[in-house]
This record gives sequence, C-alpha cells and structure tokens, in this order.
Amino acid sequence: MSVMKLSMGPQHPITGHFRFILDVDGDLVLKLEPDIGYTHRGIEKLAEKRTYLQNLPVIERVNSYCDSAGTMLGYLEVIEEVMGLEVPERAKYLRVIAAELNRIASHLYAASLFSVATGLETMLMWTINDRELILDLLEKLTGQRITYTYQTIGGVRFDMPDGFKEEALKRLDYLEKRTEDYYKMLLWNHTFQIRTKKVGILKPSDAIKLGIVGPNLRASGVKADVRKDEPYEVYDRFDFSIPTGKNGDSYDRLEVRFKEVEQSIQILRQAIKDIPKGPIKRWAPPIVPKGEAYTRVEAARGEFGYYLVSDGTMKPYRLKITPPSFRNLIALPHLCRNVPLGDIPIIYISLDLIPMDVDR
Amino acid sequence: MTDKSIEEKIVDSVKAKFPEDVIDAKVQRRNRVSISVKSNKIYDVGLFLRDELGFDHIASVSGVDYIDAREFEVIYYVWSMDKKVLVGLRTKIPRDNPVLKSLVDVWEGALYHERETWEMFGIKFEGHPNLSLLLLPEDWDGPPPLRKDFFLPETPQERLEEKIKRAGG
Amino acid sequence: MLQKLRNSLMNIKLLRKVLNWGRAWSLWSVHLETGCCGPEDMARACARFDTERFGTLPFPTLRECDLIFVTGFVTKKMAKRLKLVYEQMPEPKYVIAIGHCAISGGLWWDSYSVVQGVDEILPVDVYVPGCPPRPEAWIQGIRMLQEKIAKEGIKKK
Repeated sequence: MSVMKLSMGPQHPITGHFRFILDVDGDLVLKLEPDIGYTHRGIEKLAEKRTYLQNLPVIERVNSYCDSAGTMLGYLEVIEEVMGLEVPERAKYLRVIAAELNRIASHLYAASLFSVATGLETMLMWTINDRELILDLLEKLTGQRITYTYQTIGGVRFDMPDGFKEEALKRLDYLEKRTEDYYKMLLWNHTFQIRTKKVGILKPSDAIKLGIVGPNLRASGVKADVRKDEPYEVYDRFDFSIPTGKNGDSYDRLEVRFKEVEQSIQILRQAIKDIPKGPIKRWAPPIVPKGEAYTRVEAARGEFGYYLVSDGTMKPYRLKITPPSFRNLIALPHLCRNVPLGDIPIIYISLDLIPMDVDR
Repeated sequence: MTDKSIEEKIVDSVKAKFPEDVIDAKVQRRNRVSISVKSNKIYDVGLFLRDELGFDHIASVSGVDYIDAREFEVIYYVWSMDKKVLVGLRTKIPRDNPVLKSLVDVWEGALYHERETWEMFGIKFEGHPNLSLLLLPEDWDGPPPLRKDFFLPETPQERLEEKIKRAGG
Repeated sequence: MLQKLRNSLMNIKLLRKVLNWGRAWSLWSVHLETGCCGPEDMARACARFDTERFGTLPFPTLRECDLIFVTGFVTKKMAKRLKLVYEQMPEPKYVIAIGHCAISGGLWWDSYSVVQGVDEILPVDVYVPGCPPRPEAWIQGIRMLQEKIAKEGIKKK
C-alpha cells in the first residue's frame, strides 16, 4: 500500500478558494485536511476601528455571495439588544421580507453549484435564471442586486415601492409551480440519485456533537431552527414548518433546501398580506451603552452567532462573528474518510461551504 | 412559591456542584446563562455541563483582550437542544502568560475555534492536537493581530506611502 | 529568414485585422472567483445576460484560456497562487480587474492581509469599477478589451 499526498489547489472548477490536502491510496481517499485562509480580510479587527454605522457595509460582505440580508440582521439584532431599542412594526416585516427573499436566492445558488458538479448543465441555467427573478424583486425594494445595505440600526432605509406587492405575489406563484419542475428534472432524476444517495451520511448524534448547523443538521433528522427555538423579529406570527430529512446523505441535504424554499414562499405570502402601516425607522443614538450580548439568527446556510462587547463609545470594543460555514467545516474531514475520489466534490458541495464565510 | 425557570435551575446545580470554583453564575435574560469559573477548573465544569446537564452542541469560542486590566477572557458558548438555553462558560487568564487547558476532548467541534483563538490572540491551549496557522498567510511573522497593541494604518495617506516605498519610489 | 517572412506578412493590414478579430472574439476565461463579485460572474455567463455571445466562455483548464477576470479582493496568501495561474497561461493573455477591491483595495484599505490593488502583482488591461459592477458593466469591459486588441500589432510581451 503506497500513500500519495494530493493537493486540490485553491483554483478549482468548484466555487471559491479552498484547498484540500488528500492522502490517496489508488482511488481511495484515506484522509482529508482542509487548508483555508485564502479570502481572509480580518473583518473583526476592521470592525474595531470603525463606528457602528460605518461597519454596516463591512459586516455585510462577510457573506455577500448570496446572503447579505441574513448576515446583516444578526449584527443589528445584537446592537439593538445592547441598546434596548425597539424597532417599528413595519420595519420588522420589511426585514423579514428581505431575509426570506435572500434565502430563496441562496438555496437556488446552492442547487446550481450542485448541478454543475453532477454534470446537469441545464439545471444550472434554470436555477440561475430563476434566481434572477428574485434579484429583480430585491432590486426594486433595495436598489442593488447582491450587496444591499438595506437594513440599518433602528429599521430599514427605504419603503416598499408601489406595485411591489402584486409583482411579488405573481413571481412567487410562478416559483411555486417551478419547484415541481425541479423535483421532476433534478431530484427524481435517476442519474442524480445514484450519484448522491448514500454518499456522505452524517448521523444525527455526530452532527450534534460536532456543532453542525443549518440545513445540514436538519437533513440528518434533528429539528433545530433558530426561527422556532428563539423567535426574533416577527417570526412567531407566521405559520410555517421545519422540514427534516431521513438519512443524512447528500441527496437529503439538497431536498431539505428545496422544501425550505417552499416554506419561505409561505412566509412571504403571509408577510406581504399582513404588513401594517407605519414608520420604517426609529432614530438611534450613535453611542451604544456599556454591555455585552450574544444573538443568533438563521441565515440561509445556518446559524450566525454575533458576540458584542461595548464600552460606551461609538466603536465596538470586540465583535466576534461565528459564521455557519466555519462551524460546518469540521464535517468535511469527518465525512471524507475511506471514500472514493469521485465522491469528494459531491460531499463538499452538499455541505454548502462558502470560503468567504469561513475566512471572514 | 413560584416555580424556578430552567435557567435558574441550571445556575443552582452548577453552584451546588462546584461551590468554591464558580466565581459568578447568573441568568442574563431568557435563554442566556453566564458562568464564570477559575481557569484551572474549566475542564471539570465543562465535563459536568456536557454529561449531567446535556450541553453538547458547541456554538463558539471567543477571546477578548482587556489590555487595561492586563488579562484575556476566553468564553465558550454551548447550546442544549432540549433545554434551549445558551450557556457562556467564561474564564480569565493573565496577559503575560496566556495558557489554558484545551476542551477538544469535551466538545469535539471546538477544534478549529481554539486554533483560530490561538492564532489571533496568542493564547496557548494545552492538549490541542494541531496549533498551527489557519487563516493568516504562511509567512506571517508579526504579533497576533487581534491584540489591542497591534495597530492598523490610520489614514489612506499612510497606506499610500507604504505602497510607494515598496514600489521603490 | 522565416522570422523576416513572418514579420513582413504580418505587416499586411488585412492579415493583422483577421488575426486580431479571431483573438478578440474567442477569449476563454479562467474560472476564478476571488471575492464578492463572484456570483455576478455566474450570472453574466448564463442565459439572461449571456456574455458567451461575445466569445467569453468560462473554462476550467488553465492551459487553454487567455483571459483572467480578477473579481474582487486578493489576499496575500492567494497572491502567490494567482501569479502561478497567470504564468501557466499561454501568450497572449489579458487581465480585467473587476470591482473597487481589485483596482485599489476598496473597502479593505487598512486590512493586514489584503493586497492593495491587483496591479501590484499582474499587469492589468481594463479596469471595471463598481461594488459589484452590474453585468452590463462587465459587457462594456469586455467590449473595451476587444477594441484594445483590435489596435494591437504583433508584439512580444
């Protein structure tokens, strides 16, 4: 038996800058060691130099790939908890609308990467085009396609324009019908099922022990979602369910994401119907009083944790960000032991690790 | 006689098991408990939280640099799936000799979190299997970046002068 | 003798025009997403904006590409690898810098691990500003590069 060290370098056809160092014996991978840090910018150090308001575009770009609204929400929650500020009702509904639209766009992006890895290029075109519909809606609401800086301390910056409600409901109806097409073309496709079923099985006890979060945890059968465990904003007023998977393999991880898209469409319909009238922003003082807090929000990839220590000035003393991809990173060496070489891209993409999220 | 909430029961059981080692244990708000212990006893308190009280899902490990008080504070945040409470287990260590026992045997998910805290603050975790650079470039020779005595350039003018000097102008 | 024949042939305007036209309209690009401008790379190559009609096909193998889009910030750890990728591409090769972070550091001007502008490492042909630039701006960047190639002669880089 001769073991060779193989390096799948930072430039590779799958997304992002991530390097794997594999110990390979023939076609069998014995061990995998991830090498990260190719997109590290030192956001936690930069955040200590800027005021709370100047930090908004910086924190948003922790994960601006697909999920800016979800990332920003946690930062604002932690500041508003330390300040004791209560945001107006209309602003809470608008924040939820932006976050849920972002969640749908992010899951469609994950599905497109999945289709590229398994060789189904038609699904790449379908998913990216459907994502364009959602990005158009977000552009009408916020003015930008991927990095919005829409939410701010005390509320949101712009109000819903005229005609947004009807346009949004029309597009959501179209998306709901389209999800059935995705099931037929992508998930129930025989080649796709052979490639992804029973690949990278994560047991629920292992998932809890390692600290895995998000759709990866739910695909293993554990019902855990911050929107139900510790409801924030107005999530406790909506009627939605948490989909879980049965086996914890790569197929389940994609199926859970599509089911979450369906649940997000339900939440959006209720939010657009029930949104009250009122102000969209409350004035917030520039100085945050002394204190500390830890908040959790559910972004598209899982739970974002924000820890803030404030010393009574205009700049944070310490801001610690725990992104979901950093917590899911440990599943990769755990799952990639004694697997064939061809399974490595499937396992990596099904965990949905974004290197910018891991490195901050 | 009102029933005690879950958070208060957790605080009482930790105080009962470790009466001298717990410096401060309190309920911060709903779903949040903060327990501050002496640095040599953090391993035993961690094992008690995991085995007896069911806190097995590690959320985050963070360090804070209190340069005026000349100490570091390390906080382990752990979550319990059935109790739905987040416990912040914290301890303080001296800034001149920052050494702490690693909790990788207690919570396996703390592997990369502790490695990043070592890299950013210089806190040594004894018993960690692999303390090496994770996020910083391989040829990093400066001090740990998140300490309060590591300064970034204040103005774009300073940065531009550095760039011109490096280009040889 | 063969060099002289080649140089004199290439001085004929018509031949040079045909060569430049061929180069400009089939620029294959390396799949490299450095920073936040990455998803716009996917979006512009797909059916709505469709830059493939200008000939820019994203291609995974380095040795058959002649264009790098540097989308976003470049860190010091990645800089060495980016230089390696650039050196492995065959001549003639071009670089387009997309986004404020690739032009001059952008939002990360005081970071300890971000290179302040990709022109510290690679020679850049076209700069496209924006944060992130819209796909229409990408298309304008590609058109500007094509116009630049059309004016080139045979030259040793």
